[in-house]
Amino acid sequence: METVLLCCKTVGTDSVFTETMWRRSVGAAHTWFGCRSAGPKRIWGPHAVRTCSTPALPPGRITALQAVDLWRRHFEERGVTEPGHSSRYIIAHLLGAKTVESLEHGKLTEFLSQEKTEQMWRLCTRRLSRMPVQYVIEEWDFRDLTLKMRPPVFIPRPETEELVELVLRDLMKNPGTGGDSQHACLEVGCGSGAISLSLLKSLPQLKVIALDQSQAAVDLTVENALRLGLQDRLQVYHIDVMKDAETVLSLCRHVSVLVSNPPYLFSEDVVSLEPEVLRWIHGVIILSAAPRFEDHSALDGGEDGLNVIRQILTLAPHILSNHGRVYLEVDPRHPVLIRPWVEAHVEGLHYVATQHDFTGRPRFCILQKEKSHKDRELYLGLRN
Amino acid sequence: MLIQSAAKTLYFGSLLRKMSRVFSMISYMNSVSNWVIWRGSPRMSPLLNPLPAGLTYILAAGKKDLMDLPVLNEDDLEEQFVRGTGPGGQATNKTSNCVVLRHIPTGIVVKCHQTRSVDINRKRARDIMREKLDVAYKGELSEVIIKKKESVLRKQEKRRKANENLERKKQFKEVLAADLNPEKDTA
Repeated sequence: METVLLCCKTVGTDSVFTETMWRRSVGAAHTWFGCRSAGPKRIWGPHAVRTCSTPALPPGRITALQAVDLWRRHFEERGVTEPGHSSRYIIAHLLGAKTVESLEHGKLTEFLSQEKTEQMWRLCTRRLSRMPVQYVIEEWDFRDLTLKMRPPVFIPRPETEELVELVLRDLMKNPGTGGDSQHACLEVGCGSGAISLSLLKSLPQLKVIALDQSQAAVDLTVENALRLGLQDRLQVYHIDVMKDAETVLSLCRHVSVLVSNPPYLFSEDVVSLEPEVLRWIHGVIILSAAPRFEDHSALDGGEDGLNVIRQILTLAPHILSNHGRVYLEVDPRHPVLIRPWVEAHVEGLHYVATQHDFTGRPRFCILQKEKSHKDRELYLGLRN
Repeated sequence: MLIQSAAKTLYFGSLLRKMSRVFSMISYMNSVSNWVIWRGSPRMSPLLNPLPAGLTYILAAGKKDLMDLPVLNEDDLEEQFVRGTGPGGQATNKTSNCVVLRHIPTGIVVKCHQTRSVDINRKRARDIMREKLDVAYKGELSEVIIKKKESVLRKQEKRRKANENLERKKQFKEVLAADLNPEKDTA
């Protein structure tokens, strides 16, 4: 854990990756992705200037605890959500820990250095502009990994940690029989790389192909993979599954797992969320006048929230190996819609189960590929 | 002289053995307090069953049978999240990842906010809960308490030995000084 934390702290916004590292290892055509030198992305730059008044730097020295209290009160006054959590996460980060609770005893009552005080003021000012804490401190935990976070790439939610556990549980029950039959996994919409990297970390034999329609997400996944030393078993491609299904099919064949946390919000909810978001939820979508941090396209799943899900399920039978499975995170209203739709529209895929998340909401769908007709005919032919 | 050196080697031998015991104890305590060890129970929520998570798993490997902690029954547990109402998932971006776990039969409450991952906090909370239950059920006989007492005793013993050594050195120096001084006086 310690090493993960340390390596995630080495700051390097300039792209240092070489394209050769990401060359496709399969197929004849060598398409290279995810290596564009992006340069430092300071999306908050212009917004920070526009933000409202920040409290002046204290004249004398103050303790960490005093700084936390001061900012909590200020966040409260400005209506920033989770004021206490925000200022505590920021100070913990500055003092080299993940949470205030895991700080060394007595650290909070020590005086802050001039440098740390200025850093605290700079980061809290960003939070004041409603930037999510995860973007402010530029990192967040996902299971046992610490990942770099950068706008506008989607911030992984805790529900998704359970999606990974579902996949792991099944893969560990049926480990590949070695040699050629080792498991391969495809992730659609990798964002910061949380799911793919978490799977790779837990299963040292697994290979993963990750896709995202956003170049920023592809870049961040590559960066996180390099930080965690998991790049050797991962291929990342900048592909939109909605527009370029052909390429997806040519890239991925016979994978045993297709996992995705696709955009699943209903469009109407995205719109109706806005005033709610303005008052309560930072980070998802902020009113148009204010900065929009998270990529809209990582959230909006169309009228019924099923646009991307339908596409993934349609492609699934062509991508999966026999008995390969699809694992999806969805809206709680979706499982009852997905099951009949798959039965009516997708041949060779059957609905296995709906799983609930830790808050008790039906959140995950598991589907499995049945032996295709061709295989079945072949099998029957052999028997006769 | 010979007898003394023999005694010395004997002393060092036992010290080495003790030290190795202390080290194994340290790594063992580590595995208990910081690393997640999971033993499955048929009634546990499947998602909270043991899963090797890279380094965590390797460090904890082979150590999980050292302590016979009570198995948690998920039905006896009440868990509190600050995820709130609403649809959750992508629609929410809450950062409060603290987990509060209550064992209903005993009323023991455990709070865990060591990491920013709900998943890891949940697992660690269960780990701490098992230790607390062991203490609650077995009292002074609990392995958790026994091990803790042993480690305290070991530390005290180590400190006593170190102090003795210091004292011996001091006396030796005094003797040396006393040997030298009379010569100075006569000179």
